[in-house]
Amino acid sequence: MSGAKGRGAKFSIGRVAFRNRVFLASGPAGYGTEYAGLIALNRLGGVVTKTITFEPRPGNPGRRLWETRAGLLNSIGLENVGAKVFFTEKVPSLIEAGAKPVVSLGAEEWKEYCALLDIAGDCEAVDAIELNCSCPNVERGGMAVGSDPGLLGKYIRRARSALGKKIVIAKLTPNVGDVAALAVAAEKAGADAITAINTVIGADFDPDSGEPVFRRVRAGLSGPAVLPVALAAVWKIACAVRIPVIGVGGISSVEDARKFFAAGASAVQVGTAIFYDPGLPERIVASLEREGIPRTIDDNESTRES
Amino acid sequence: MKSKPRGRYAAVVMRNREVSPTSRVIVLERPRGFRDARPGQFVSIRACDGTEPLLRRPFSIMHCTGETLSLLVKVVGPGSAAIASRRPGDTIDLVGPLGGSSFPEPEGETAVFVAGGTGLAPLLFAARLWRRKRLLSAAHILYGAGNRSELLGDLIRKEFSTCTFATLDGSAGFHGDVVALCRDLVKKRRLPPGTLYSCGPRGMVRSLASSVGGAFRAHFTSLESIMACGVGACRGCTVPMRVDGGTVLRTVCSDGTVFRADDIAWEEWEE
Repeated sequence: MSGAKGRGAKFSIGRVAFRNRVFLASGPAGYGTEYAGLIALNRLGGVVTKTITFEPRPGNPGRRLWETRAGLLNSIGLENVGAKVFFTEKVPSLIEAGAKPVVSLGAEEWKEYCALLDIAGDCEAVDAIELNCSCPNVERGGMAVGSDPGLLGKYIRRARSALGKKIVIAKLTPNVGDVAALAVAAEKAGADAITAINTVIGADFDPDSGEPVFRRVRAGLSGPAVLPVALAAVWKIACAVRIPVIGVGGISSVEDARKFFAAGASAVQVGTAIFYDPGLPERIVASLEREGIPRTIDDNESTRES
Repeated sequence: MKSKPRGRYAAVVMRNREVSPTSRVIVLERPRGFRDARPGQFVSIRACDGTEPLLRRPFSIMHCTGETLSLLVKVVGPGSAAIASRRPGDTIDLVGPLGGSSFPEPEGETAVFVAGGTGLAPLLFAARLWRRKRLLSAAHILYGAGNRSELLGDLIRKEFSTCTFATLDGSAGFHGDVVALCRDLVKKRRLPPGTLYSCGPRGMVRSLASSVGGAFRAHFTSLESIMACGVGACRGCTVPMRVDGGTVLRTVCSDGTVFRADDIAWEEWEE
């Protein structure tokens, strides 16, 4: 059995078509073009850019990276060039590199969020937006929105109305009690797809000095260590919603990517692994083209949550 | 040979030679298409296919000739140990050349180089390159290590006209760190006031810049940092720089590795 019904290499969300089902994840992907010579962006389904805010953000001071066992803690703090520079300079470069951009947006406050949506709505070159409802490394905003179904619905409805024909993808955090309830809220509010998961909250300490590694103490964990957490969240969400689920978190091999499809994902994003294995996204594409998409919970009633 | 700005290569080990009890020089066949590198640029190496360590490790390029690429590898953890154990014929998964800036050529004909630990590598590269281009009439190096066995004297004497050593335990050369040695030589007027080039641990470079950097025409330093992407995408290796009275964050991997030491906002740079 090669591939599930209607699940070939090609992939669309709503009316937006993607070259295939493999994307670079927001954060590690940067603005995409940094990987010139290392990743053929034009071979991928898309590049989810680092999260853009209305104003430029310098990000967090102090240490930003810390390697853990099979994982990476980060406390970047949404450093970015701001919406104006991003849409006028970074998006054209990304498109020129042959990539399909999916723009990640984030905000700490409602007013700023609305202004950001207006700028994004005006950018005709972009037809896919991923809302970062879940960054653990900023004071307010992201996480609060991502853990309150009512607030999440409000943010998504606003995006839905401000972004016209663009598709709206909600990226959810695993740092909540019931991730499926948030996914359902996002779907009801008009989200076209769900991305899961963002980083898992983690921390580390110096055993001798007792000092936390990060100034903010808590940081976001990514890498192979989070794969099972991501698979469980994707499975839970895929059981609860009808819109496509994009699986992300800890993919470090072609097999890891196939596990996400088995859990019910329609597409995958590769993040931390591009740091050490930039060829991985293209190998996943090749594997899906060759062998199709694995059987999924949709085809296998016995694994459905009852 | 057509070359791209950077790429990922499986580079074949030609030689792997012990130069101290903890350090090795690994000479690789220069991969086809690997672009000409400049002093201060680096490669990032995946030490193993597993997760220990997870990330690539950055290594300054020590030499880049038409046929070879040389690295100085000091064993400090499982990653560098795995790399140091590669034998001739083995391959190394490397990405490079990385780094958006490099050591600028000296303005005068004298240059002073100050290095600690593996910070020696980019300075050896610069000294050899500039000597071949006849840019230098004198190249002084000050090198500091923990003890006599880590001094890498044979490597150093080959490339520099004047070498002065410091050891923390006093087992050879000046007793103390390399910054104290530099201060001492400046005080005794035994160093020319040319351009200063440095590379080493952050504390060493900071102390060098604040205590003695002003005695030189200019001070350029190649910074070391924990890195993830190596290409400026993840913004993980930022360093605060003074620009127009304010502070902006630059990445060591893509804006550096080389900066003017006077531009670094040391007091804001935490780790």
